[in-house]
Amino acid sequence: MGVPARALDYADSFLPGVIPQEAELTAGVRIEPGKSYGFFTDTTLCIGCKACEVACKEWNALPADDLGLKGTSYDNTGSLSANTWRHVAFVEKISGDEGTRVTEMQPFQSNWLMMSDVCKHCHNAPCLEACPTGALFRTEFDTVVVQPDICNGCGYCVPACPFGVVDLSPDDGKAHKCTLCYDRLKGGLEPACAKSCPTDSIQFGEVPDLVERAKARVVDLHAKGARNAYLYGAPDTPGATGGLGHLNAFFLLTDRPEVYNLPTAPTRAANRVEPALTAGLVTMAGLALTAAAVFALAKAGPTGPGRNGEIR
Amino acid sequence: MSGNFAGTSLPPSAAAPYMGETYYGRPAVKASPFDWKVSSYIFVGGLAGSAQILATLGDLAGGPQAGGMTRTGRWIAVGGSAVGGVLLIADLHTPDRWYNMLRIYRSTSPMSIGTYILSGFAGFSAIALGADLLGMKRVAKAAQVPAAVAGAGMSVYTAALLSATSTPLWAAEPRLLGVRFAASSMAAAASALSVVEQAGQRQDTARTLDRVALAACAVEMAAGLQADRAYRRKGVADALEKPELRALDKVGALAMGAAIPILCHGLNQVVRKPSRTLSVLGSLAALAGGLALRHAILKGGNESAGIPENYFRLTRPEPPDRQPPRVASTGERERIAHHGERPYTPAATRVATSLER
Repeated sequence: MGVPARALDYADSFLPGVIPQEAELTAGVRIEPGKSYGFFTDTTLCIGCKACEVACKEWNALPADDLGLKGTSYDNTGSLSANTWRHVAFVEKISGDEGTRVTEMQPFQSNWLMMSDVCKHCHNAPCLEACPTGALFRTEFDTVVVQPDICNGCGYCVPACPFGVVDLSPDDGKAHKCTLCYDRLKGGLEPACAKSCPTDSIQFGEVPDLVERAKARVVDLHAKGARNAYLYGAPDTPGATGGLGHLNAFFLLTDRPEVYNLPTAPTRAANRVEPALTAGLVTMAGLALTAAAVFALAKAGPTGPGRNGEIR
Repeated sequence: MSGNFAGTSLPPSAAAPYMGETYYGRPAVKASPFDWKVSSYIFVGGLAGSAQILATLGDLAGGPQAGGMTRTGRWIAVGGSAVGGVLLIADLHTPDRWYNMLRIYRSTSPMSIGTYILSGFAGFSAIALGADLLGMKRVAKAAQVPAAVAGAGMSVYTAALLSATSTPLWAAEPRLLGVRFAASSMAAAASALSVVEQAGQRQDTARTLDRVALAACAVEMAAGLQADRAYRRKGVADALEKPELRALDKVGALAMGAAIPILCHGLNQVVRKPSRTLSVLGSLAALAGGLALRHAILKGGNESAGIPENYFRLTRPEPPDRQPPRVASTGERERIAHHGERPYTPAATRVATSLER
């Protein structure tokens, strides 16, 4: 902990402008092009306050979705969408195996799981790999961003995403998703969700640093008795499977991934281009050869030219 | 059982076999925004592509009696690429930016690959037809070969397009989908040409084309039945088991697309005097079946994306064959659809209730 050294340079209540490299003060990291940035979301620290959802909506000027109640614990957001780029999931483990109320708590965790979900900014991002216009691109901060001025709304990135993140907006007919606050990163600011998180459940930083921090946290939790803690999306863990590489936004979970609506072993969609194309083209070649043989036989055979008098 | 993730020992809670856990039954992936326009394009594009192949083969190997068929095939190729292009642009959500497809080429994106296949196919097909109509035989002969090669791409790239997604039904069997789309495209093209030949009183070429359709339908049937089994084994068949899609898949794609044409054309091949009615019936059934297959796969895929158990079964680290039997039945999904979101209950409770039922 402690106060970052540079903080003392900005002790006034009213500042003349944006603090250069402000992220150094708020997240302890300098934001420089060419490095890899991401989120480590530690769900054991999440208190479900949804400050991240609100901060994201405010900074990115995203309209409200559905304001109704969903009846699914405190989750009235539902899922990530074109207008919702952070989504806090609530899993109430109110009943045990026999339908009775659970009376024992896991160490350092209530029987209530909360997780702030976000775009994973995959190392090999299927949405980016699917985009036929180049609207989706990899930034100088190793994040994946949609350029709405290029997107033509083909919607192919939507089913390509293995986590159900990218969505088409019915309002403007373009794809939208978390940009990892590309504009803020350019200005040296920590992303809005991470900055607003009151418990540091969402941590922003350079991916290699975050992975180390996360591994240490798992060891720490195990030592404290929370043996079910594990990482999702860090290199060589569930989520970072099937050719996706690691996920720049990764998580610390305490129950199986599916409980949080995450697949255990997602795969890179582009893996399936070659098998489908090859099998299809081989079939085409076989059928074309068959057709050529049938045509040639018909020409040479007894039912050859002239029988029906249709020679052109 | 432990997960196979190098360098990590998973806690038992995360590594246990998948027993149907979901987050309030909410979809884990998003369904594509593709609708009937895309499935119609897949059909029309495949029909046009394979028609160009047959036209070219007829021109090269079929002798003079295939001339009418070649001309018809070239018309279908040009008409199909025009209609296909319109369908694709109409399906965009910002159609006035359709030309952004031509900004880049991306080999990981079948949609990008397909953009250039369609462009090349439309261009060469137009040259081949135009030259043919203007009597420039040598130009037509030169242009038809690249057009036919692109036609093979037209017939199958759409299978890669659907497979290269995270939609359970599409991602489960990329190879079989490729084979099915290829065979169905060839069957549709041979059938369309056969109908035109029958209308033009050219029974011999029609009969030849019916043989091609027979072979293609046989491949389609074999691949279709195998896909059906594979979808069940991998636990992604729930969407296709819904009544309306079941009819489209079984009666449309399998019966009309493969079984009826095989019966009609097969009968016509063994009898001494082939029946025109049977030939036309088989051809029309194959055409309707090809369209039904594409609609069933497209709609089925979009539905399967909304069934989280299907996606989670497909994304288990252990091979699907060794997974425990699936928990959520179609009936359970229907109930959720009717009564809104279901409250979270732990897996064990859900197993018990589904066993009781």
